[in-house]
Amino acid sequence: MSEPHKDLLQIEDLNKDEIESILAAAQPFKELFKRSVKKVPTLQGKTVLSLFYEPSTRTSSSFEVAANRLSADFTSLAVASSSVVKGETILDTVDTLGAMRADYIVIRHKKAGIPNLVAEHTDASVINAGDGFHAHPTQALLDASTLYDVFGKLDFSGKKILIVGDILHSRVARSTSRIMTMLGAEVRVLGPGTLVPPGRPDKMKKFKNYEEALDWKPDVVYLLRVQFERQGEQFFPSSGEYHSVYGLNEDRFNKIKDEGVWVMHPGPVNRGVELADSVTTYDRCLINRQVENGIATRMAVLYWLKPQTFQQDG
Amino acid sequence: MDDLILLKQASVASEDSADLFETDVLVENGVIKAVSSSLNAIDGTRVIDAKGKVLLPGLFDVHVHVREPGQTSKETIRTGSEAAINGGVTGIVAMPNTVPAIDNGGMVRSVLEIAGRDSRVEFFTTGCITKDRKGKEMAAIGGMKEAGVVMITDDGSPVENPQLLRRAMEYAREFDLPLASHCETMHLSGAGAMNEGKRSYKLGVPGIPSISEEICIARDIQIAAYTGAHLHLQHVTTARGMEIIRRAKNDGVKVTCEVAPHHLIFNENDIVNYDTYFKMNPPLRTEEDNEKLLEGLIEGVFDVIATDHAPHTEFEKKQQDFETAPFGITGLETALPSLYHHYIKEGKFGWDLLVKRYAAEPRRILNLDQVSVKEGSRAELVLFDPQATTTFSQDFMKSKSPNTPFLDKELQGSVDLVVNGEEVLLDRSDGAA
Repeated sequence: MSEPHKDLLQIEDLNKDEIESILAAAQPFKELFKRSVKKVPTLQGKTVLSLFYEPSTRTSSSFEVAANRLSADFTSLAVASSSVVKGETILDTVDTLGAMRADYIVIRHKKAGIPNLVAEHTDASVINAGDGFHAHPTQALLDASTLYDVFGKLDFSGKKILIVGDILHSRVARSTSRIMTMLGAEVRVLGPGTLVPPGRPDKMKKFKNYEEALDWKPDVVYLLRVQFERQGEQFFPSSGEYHSVYGLNEDRFNKIKDEGVWVMHPGPVNRGVELADSVTTYDRCLINRQVENGIATRMAVLYWLKPQTFQQDG
Repeated sequence: MDDLILLKQASVASEDSADLFETDVLVENGVIKAVSSSLNAIDGTRVIDAKGKVLLPGLFDVHVHVREPGQTSKETIRTGSEAAINGGVTGIVAMPNTVPAIDNGGMVRSVLEIAGRDSRVEFFTTGCITKDRKGKEMAAIGGMKEAGVVMITDDGSPVENPQLLRRAMEYAREFDLPLASHCETMHLSGAGAMNEGKRSYKLGVPGIPSISEEICIARDIQIAAYTGAHLHLQHVTTARGMEIIRRAKNDGVKVTCEVAPHHLIFNENDIVNYDTYFKMNPPLRTEEDNEKLLEGLIEGVFDVIATDHAPHTEFEKKQQDFETAPFGITGLETALPSLYHHYIKEGKFGWDLLVKRYAAEPRRILNLDQVSVKEGSRAELVLFDPQATTTFSQDFMKSKSPNTPFLDKELQGSVDLVVNGEEVLLDRSDGAA
């Protein structure tokens, strides 16, 4: 069963049918981009407001382009310079947005659960564009959409996906591993002992080193962005050591490129840390494809969700 | 006020017997005059039909935040004491993390003065171990003892410096003051907001690892053993932490400890949709910890049950995200019904355990006079109806703050009557208005 939801907060809220309907809806938008006129009137007269409490270029512009191509009005609230920093609570802000009759609120925040809190207090559809370490559902959907393109089907059974890097602090790892598993793929992880927590799902097995991981013959190597330091705490000794132990360096890249392994990364890439420079020009490197599919997938999400504000149209 | 109250056919609970015994109880001028079957009422006696109801001594909670002075939008001594009465608690010990903190004799006197006017239950206060709970300098422990504190604690924070904690224990020992520890290792807790584990991973919320608490328990016990001071460990939540305490007790270390009802009943998996009414510190742990803590309570590792009643306004809890919202839930009103509902009714433990751990031992570890349902005892009584139910609506509750996981939930049992000396503090028994 696939019923449109009001909000998109986390992949866990979607069943397999619902994921498939969103991904299916994204396909025609991908075709649309090949035309000279890339715009459809689907959401004409509707308003999409974006609230990014964390800096982001690609995700916020991806949503903006998606909204524009659906003919919605898009406004982004410059949160960092607005009254939000002057002590107004996030729910006060949401009230204000309610008064502006926003139909969709796209929100990114450094605290987990903020989109869930906001969703309870508004009739607008809330789209989580990343909250703390919790979830990034549109990233998961665009990743699945990208693998749909290369695998040629939505059933990922038998496919093996290796996620490498900072599992602990990654909302992408949580959301993307979840969707891949739901679509039938097997997901395993590799990363520093400090960043691969025991609390992860049991079936996400951990490899000890790259050699062991590559012997598993993954179809996809999904690299996560790493940060050398978080709030004064170090999780590995240096970026250089990370690259030599957990990076997709030249040696490892040479090993996998002849085996047709796909490489993904949610961006922005730290060249020379998560991957060697040469990886970005590899023909099976999907990073740009992910960005492109991000727009189509976010259009599909906007198209699929059903804001409570629409009911007033009778 | 009734000078004479006769409770007919009450089922009396005591710490000495697993069985309830049915009897009549006569209260005259705030004292239990007679405990015997078939007592007759003389004129002017208020007679209460207590058949099928449990009569127990007034409960005593050693860990309560009344927020006065300084945070009276959350709670006051008056509303805190009313919440206590609503839950059958007739004595409370207030924590000193008020604003300003209770860290000198003058503050103690002023709080006790407010309590003398506003508290409707027996009220005791603790004082800080260190000035303003900052963990830098020792607070005026002798002066606070003279002013009447029953315990010292920096509750809400550990004393991070072990040398300062050691000196405080050596110093407090000579005043016969127990030193209560909130056990946490701040470098390990970091920005954590819930137990570190599968659930925190799933919710993407920074975790507080169990070792944060356990390391501090072990450290404080070593210092207590070394100094010979009475160490009281607050709100223990992990099975491993409890085992450290059990070993220390077997070794003869002067250590007592408490467990909170919510750490017995709930675990991390109960945190659904970032509900901040399940956020407290130390956090809800695992299902296995629930089971082990219950075993420990039954086996006697825990000296007392205490709620860590921690009121916060609805605004603070519900208008903020899980990580930002303050730690703490209320507990005074729900403790007795929730323990009855989950354990006594289910045959997990008896009324004797409840009386021992939530009425008798709390007074004993603080060297206070005991109350019991016996002839000659001061009448500090609670009548509990196991047949009735209670729904913890905001209307029902007397606390200023609604932050309890039991909000709008129904539990089996009802506190019907609370007597404190000559005063009937609460009367929901039949025939009452």
